[in-house]
Amino acid sequence: MAAVPTSFDILIVGGGLVGAASAWHLARLGLKVLLVERGHPNAGASGQNAGSLHFQIERRFLEQGEQAAVDGARIVTLNRLAIEEWRGLENLLGRPLDVAMHGGLMVAETEADMDLLAFKVARENALGLDTQLLDAAQLRARAPCLSPALAGAAWLESEGHANPRILVDAYAAGAQAQGAQIRTGTAVTAMAMARDGTYRVTLDGPDGALAVQVPRVLLAAGHRVPHLAGLLGLNVPLYAAPLMMSVTDRTEPVLPYLIQHVGARLSMKQTEDGNLLIGGGWASRLAKRADGTPDLDQPAIMDRANLRANLAVAARVMPLLKRRALLRTWTGTTCISADQLPIVGEIAAAPGLFVAAGGSLFTLGPVLARLLAQTIAQGSAQGIGAGPLALFQPRRFAHLDAFAVLP
Amino acid sequence: MSAYDVAIVGGGPAGLAAAERTLAAGLSTCIVDEQQRPGGQILRQPPATFAVAGWLDGAPYRQARALLARVAADKALHWRGGVSVLGIAPDADGFVLSLSDGCEGLRDVRARRVLVAGGCYDMPVALPGWTLPGVMSAGAVQTLVKAQQVLPGQRIVLFGTHPLMIVLAQQIVAAGGRVDAVCFAQPFAVIAKAALAHLARALWTPAPLLAAAAGLAALRRSGVPVRFSAPVVRCEGSDQGVMRVVIAGTHGEEALACDVAAQCYGFLPQADLVRQIGARVRWSGPAGGWEAVHDDAMRASVPGLYVAGETTGVAGSDAAMVEGALAGIGMARDAGALGEPAAQRAMRQVRRARARMQGFIDLLRAVADPCAFLPEAAGETLLCRCEDVSAGAVDAAIADAGHLGQAYGASAIKLRCRAGMGLCQGRSCEHALIRRIAAARGCAERDVAGFRARFPARAVSIADMLDGPA
Repeated sequence: MAAVPTSFDILIVGGGLVGAASAWHLARLGLKVLLVERGHPNAGASGQNAGSLHFQIERRFLEQGEQAAVDGARIVTLNRLAIEEWRGLENLLGRPLDVAMHGGLMVAETEADMDLLAFKVARENALGLDTQLLDAAQLRARAPCLSPALAGAAWLESEGHANPRILVDAYAAGAQAQGAQIRTGTAVTAMAMARDGTYRVTLDGPDGALAVQVPRVLLAAGHRVPHLAGLLGLNVPLYAAPLMMSVTDRTEPVLPYLIQHVGARLSMKQTEDGNLLIGGGWASRLAKRADGTPDLDQPAIMDRANLRANLAVAARVMPLLKRRALLRTWTGTTCISADQLPIVGEIAAAPGLFVAAGGSLFTLGPVLARLLAQTIAQGSAQGIGAGPLALFQPRRFAHLDAFAVLP
Repeated sequence: MSAYDVAIVGGGPAGLAAAERTLAAGLSTCIVDEQQRPGGQILRQPPATFAVAGWLDGAPYRQARALLARVAADKALHWRGGVSVLGIAPDADGFVLSLSDGCEGLRDVRARRVLVAGGCYDMPVALPGWTLPGVMSAGAVQTLVKAQQVLPGQRIVLFGTHPLMIVLAQQIVAAGGRVDAVCFAQPFAVIAKAALAHLARALWTPAPLLAAAAGLAALRRSGVPVRFSAPVVRCEGSDQGVMRVVIAGTHGEEALACDVAAQCYGFLPQADLVRQIGARVRWSGPAGGWEAVHDDAMRASVPGLYVAGETTGVAGSDAAMVEGALAGIGMARDAGALGEPAAQRAMRQVRRARARMQGFIDLLRAVADPCAFLPEAAGETLLCRCEDVSAGAVDAAIADAGHLGQAYGASAIKLRCRAGMGLCQGRSCEHALIRRIAAARGCAERDVAGFRARFPARAVSIADMLDGPA
């Protein structure tokens, strides 16, 4: 086993958006950072998602009944911070990221949809988010490219989209420039807590096995976080969610807004390059091992029925879509937590072990990474239980680690 | 809809030969092909309304034409021409194929076994000026001449490394066209050396060698200059079209006037469907692309999936016919429609025929090897013409990815610079990306991961995706 190359203040596992952004912030705050990525940066859900910047309360919260909607509304506070984060991001990173914040519409097709939108807008407004309810005529004036049959929409002018293909690179390159070390093709194969509370982690990379001993570890590996936490005998309730996204050929600018649907799964936008991106949380299928258990090492499998259903909703909302060509449908596996909110912060049973994963982390990733990095840099005693991250503390699931055995 | 015993993707020599065997064994068989009529690229038929005298009556086509005549006459064969297969997915019955003809909506074909015999396509090679109108692939010119009786230009230059140029030049001349030059990039000595190295074994099947020699002689007689050590380094012209190709010869540059320049550096296997369903492929040397891996009965790594012909590596139509027959026998055997002893006997016979061909196939691959003679594409020259991504932009993306570590493949470069994201779905530029990545990483092409093959295998209108039975 090779010798420890140098000492690090923190090991970050996962070279997606959260990992790379955290690496950048932590390196800027003066920490010595080692980031390991088992594949290539941005190869997972961060690069596979469709780049929506959505700040309205998501449909996935609304479709689980009123209490879930109330719970989901709590995320709005963070959404407001995320809006500010995205507005300043291109300046901050000094690179174009194709950030387009020209507004977003969550459309309604039925009266029931409109009632749900009204309920949602009232809640958002009460929490300081400036959504507006548009009736059918107002919607047509705002977005003539959409179907005249729509009943209305909720409008939020700060919504939009950015380019997931280049964002992670920008953070990773920035982190490297700040002195962070990035090792790709490097997987974590074992992890143990030493008696002094540090973590001894075995890595397997292009140069063979390597052991590092670090006072802090941040798990930012999306749906692989439960597996990584499991190496320490800990439980993080995150579940793989295999999704599908589709892209059309390029066309002239027709759609300046992010489109979502309150009554059906849909996200739709036009990229800087002219392609229309269509998604919205339609499921693909996890590949299976020979014994029938999910195989997360293989890409998820496209589900044609769901693809057609996704395209049908999209074409109903924007009929001109039917004239476009479908170029590609791809799958990506994100994860959701037991209560649908991201899990971000320090694991109560394992001081120095941090987690950041769990849904909507393209939109929220940049601000969560910044807040988390500040918390980590300030020392774990502070920042817990207060501030905008309080809602996402892993300690809400601490009962799952009641039987964990650590030194 | 009930499932077929066998669905065959591709109605060329491999697919037809397989169908002949499965039909003979009494298996319900459907062939799906993008062309209206069977025959594949090699026997691309004119539309049924054309009357063409002496269509492909040369000796090299005789066997394939006989096969075509036999299978096309079999009433038991279900022929579905003019449709693309967008994807193959596992299904309760075996597999379901998603079909689109571009206007009628999505249609399904279900089958217990599927043979992918998708053929191959011309390897597009980027060089300055290659996107000018009139710069074409040799295959496209051949299709126009064979199937439509159309000459694309008045003064045609063929350039590249592949001896198919000899055949094509003859066909152009026979159709009344003018070939200004056939330009082999490699020196004659390189060709001769490669040929000699494989000659002994190639003589097991002398017919194609004799045909090639006769073709070269006939071409000389008709006054078409066949040149060696004549690498075309760029095409020049205006928006109206190509006007000349420039050759970098031993004595400096030389311009050859033309109105069509057809490139012929080799062929890439069609393996998108095989890759999409997750069956194993490997880098197909020397020209490149990905060829499907199979066992000695043409079974791919996914149970129930078979592969034959150029999809398993470009080896010509004779080999495709034999491999198709092997796959057909194998499917009949595996379906229980052919007893093991009879299947073994039949397989032994075809395997012997296939083995006899290997010498000539190796010779042709060595002679045509483009690797040392591919033109330079750099700076502003487009590498991905669908998305207008220049060679310089691709190289910058590769350098950028290199800063972050070594474990990157073609998809990581695609994400960075959009090369391969367009209408052709990466079929045109993937091989070029992989060559550049391999050079930058200092590894072999086979060690660079290719694009992830996605649904649909052909771009399809969204209206078409929404129409058709659920």
